[in-house]
Amino acid sequence: MTISWGNIEKILTYGNMFQQGLIVTVLLALCTVFFGFFLAFGLALMLLSDVRPFRYLEKVKTDDINKKKRNDFIAKFNPVKLIANCYVQFVRCTPMLVQIFLVYYIVFGFITLPKFTFFGFIQFERFFPAAVALALNSGGYMSAVIRGGIEGVDNGQTEAARSLGMSKAQTMYHIILPQAIKNILPAVANEFVTIIKESSICYTIGVQDIMFNVKSVQSATFIIAEPLLMATFLYFCLCFPTSKIIEYVERRMRQSDNR
Amino acid sequence: MTTDNTALIKVRDLKKHYNYGAIKALDGINIDINKGDVMVVIGPSGSGKSTFLRSLNLLEEPTDGSIVFDGRDIVNEKINLDEFRERMGMVFQHFNLFPHKTILENLTLAPQIVKGKSKEEAEKKALELLDRVGLKDRASAYPVQLSGGQKQRVAIVRALCMDPEVMLFDEPTSALDPEMVGEVLEVMKELAKDGMTMVCVTHEMGFAREVGNRVVFMADGNIIEEGTPEKIFDHPESPRLKDFLGKVLEA
Ligand SMILES: Nc1ncnc2c1ncn2[C@@H]1O[C@H](COP(=O)(O)OP(=O)(O)O)[C@@H](O)[C@H]1O
Ligand SMILES: [Mg+2]
Repeated sequence: MTISWGNIEKILTYGNMFQQGLIVTVLLALCTVFFGFFLAFGLALMLLSDVRPFRYLEKVKTDDINKKKRNDFIAKFNPVKLIANCYVQFVRCTPMLVQIFLVYYIVFGFITLPKFTFFGFIQFERFFPAAVALALNSGGYMSAVIRGGIEGVDNGQTEAARSLGMSKAQTMYHIILPQAIKNILPAVANEFVTIIKESSICYTIGVQDIMFNVKSVQSATFIIAEPLLMATFLYFCLCFPTSKIIEYVERRMRQSDNR
Repeated sequence: MTTDNTALIKVRDLKKHYNYGAIKALDGINIDINKGDVMVVIGPSGSGKSTFLRSLNLLEEPTDGSIVFDGRDIVNEKINLDEFRERMGMVFQHFNLFPHKTILENLTLAPQIVKGKSKEEAEKKALELLDRVGLKDRASAYPVQLSGGQKQRVAIVRALCMDPEVMLFDEPTSALDPEMVGEVLEVMKELAKDGMTMVCVTHEMGFAREVGNRVVFMADGNIIEEGTPEKIFDHPESPRLKDFLGKVLEA
């Protein structure tokens, strides 16, 4: 297989398609990270929650140490955390492609979405399931990052706040989250870069992203290599500057910590 | 030990165990803290001083025993912990100022969101107290811009802004450079003079002797000896205390 200028010129006449694919990819990644963030935030709060229906067992006084250990074990049981944990494990331990198919063919096989296009070329009934599937996946991964960011704030901050009489929720909102956000935001921005790349498998359910248009151009022109190179170039041009900008902002934020 | 019924805080048989009793951080503490007491807690590292202090405002949940504060058993009764915690101020070894807030915001946040004070009211009080510790001109600075001694003075003021009935100090000068210890102790001395009830864990024996009216010596999670500064420093009885004093006073 050879790569020729002639072929490149030929596929450049399909520039319009690549441009549309580019927009779909970016839009898909933006939607994913936006909704994924809220999901991740909710999951992180669930993972950090202290909902323990049997906590009273901790207080039961007994001289039998084995009974005490058993009671403490049951007292640790936290159903909210368990649900969040199961979800995260499901997301991490099944392939993304399978998750996308599950959402598209099974979930949205039952729920019929309205068929319409927006921006003139994006098919809602394909775009939406893809965004949902990606957000469900990305939220699972990001929840660990958000939890880490919250746990990374010095415990002395919580103690100081609680000793002043602030409630758990007030401490979280006024003291912990504003400090945790500095740990979290760069990771969320990096997730955007990751999703730009990973969303490329959404062409399998017909979302007209960059990859989908590569396939289209390939079958229209019978040129195989050059459209792929074009896609490579586009993905790189999206991801490289974005991650450099994130790096720069992150560095600046760290410097301002030492103001 | 006093069995005075007017004691502000009555600690009875307070225990804090870790690993099912393998570690006994507190092993049955009994003490009464009266209104206006300046109680200094001394003892070797790991003797349970911090655990004791942190149990008093339930930052640490005791394994057993009771703490009666103003007539209510805060360990065993169902109480609103937050309401009760705002009545006890706490000052930490590492200041724990909120780094994302200015000094003034550090001081006015809790009075506003916990006590429901207006911003003006909270700021007026904060500036008044800041002035008393000589830091009024730093109100709009951020914690990182202050020296250790200044940070600790702000931390004390932050607790005072809540009008606490008791102030707990956990080694407030241990993280400071030597030349800054004095300015913090001076603020604490002023507080004591104003009649504040204080419990101070400290290694500053000069402060203990001069400002404290009671000194408590702890070792291995127990109170070994308790009494006036004269009794503890000039006429120690237990060998543990004599040994401890020998080590700290020669240093
Ligand atoms: N979370 C914990 N788990 C296990 N042991 C602990 C924990 N916290 C404190 N301890 C133990 O409790 C004892 C008392 O600690 P602490 O109250 O900090 O002593 P002090 O303040 O007098 O130096 C120490 O032996 C310490 O190792
Ligand atoms: Mg300590």
